[in-house]
Amino acid sequence: MNISIEFYASLMKYLPPGQSRFRRDIKIEDGLLLNRLIESYHISPAEAHIVLVNGNYVNAEQRESRELAEGDVVSIWPPVAGG
Amino acid sequence: MNPEQKERFARHIRLPQIGEKGQQAILDASALIVGVGGLGSPAAMYLAAAGIGKLVLSDYDIVETSNLQRQIIHREAAVGEHKVESGRQTVRALNPRCEVDVISYQLEGDELKRVVSSVDIVLDCCDNYPTRFDVNRACVATVTGAAIRLEGQIMNYQPAANSACYQCLYTHAYGAEESCELEGVLGPVVGVIGTMQALQALLILAGQGEAMVNRLLLFDAYAMEWQAVTLSKNPGCPACAKT
Repeated sequence: MNISIEFYASLMKYLPPGQSRFRRDIKIEDGLLLNRLIESYHISPAEAHIVLVNGNYVNAEQRESRELAEGDVVSIWPPVAGG
Repeated sequence: MNPEQKERFARHIRLPQIGEKGQQAILDASALIVGVGGLGSPAAMYLAAAGIGKLVLSDYDIVETSNLQRQIIHREAAVGEHKVESGRQTVRALNPRCEVDVISYQLEGDELKRVVSSVDIVLDCCDNYPTRFDVNRACVATVTGAAIRLEGQIMNYQPAANSACYQCLYTHAYGAEESCELEGVLGPVVGVIGTMQALQALLILAGQGEAMVNRLLLFDAYAMEWQAVTLSKNPGCPACAKT
């Protein structure tokens, strides 16, 4: 199954090699849970602060049971402090 | 509105979304700016230029040379001064009709609640979670910005619209506090976010905040990408769940 991942800001370091600064098109097993995908890139729950699937926010609880589907775009942002 | 004000704010008044009514609301409004640093600089300057009636500037810090690369409200000659005094001078030079109060010590506890309750809107431009949580719990219209390195975010809390609040998204302090001093920040990144805070505040004051309810904006300057996120109120939020 084909999906896209977008890791922003300080999470870009977790991306596998590729051209885009923030996006990769990847293949995953059918029905993979969102949290398992995040764990597979060694991104901790604290770092994966804002997680979106196709632009829609998925809270921490929902990530446990959210199955990914063909063509999904998963975007992950870290917490932002400072000012 | 007198003829001088009509001339000064003509480009605002020309906009159907603002008009004389919206500009009058801005002229009559007061705002608290918590933190007169990278975010607070453009926020305060744009609000003053836009004609806001009163600004309360709060910051306990002193202007340092290392601030000048991004904190554009402060001039080199102000190094060593309180940020709020330096900020007041710039704001008054931009618009002498803007009343400016300054608080040059840590605003907290009952005094924070009192000051927050005395203004129409708060711009949270600070650099730490405890102050952000304190401001959020005071439950007034707030525009919160954050920026570091090459990333930033903006959200707003509109209690009258029963919107999600800062702690619906940030339930607790996240790990060690990151700072621009340790992590670095590219100057215009805080400028972009602070300017967006001023923009959102003006729209809310002019009665045009509806489209921003439950909206979080994320900015990655390195990827040159914005992402808009629709938030939901968190039923377990430690700050707003009962309201």
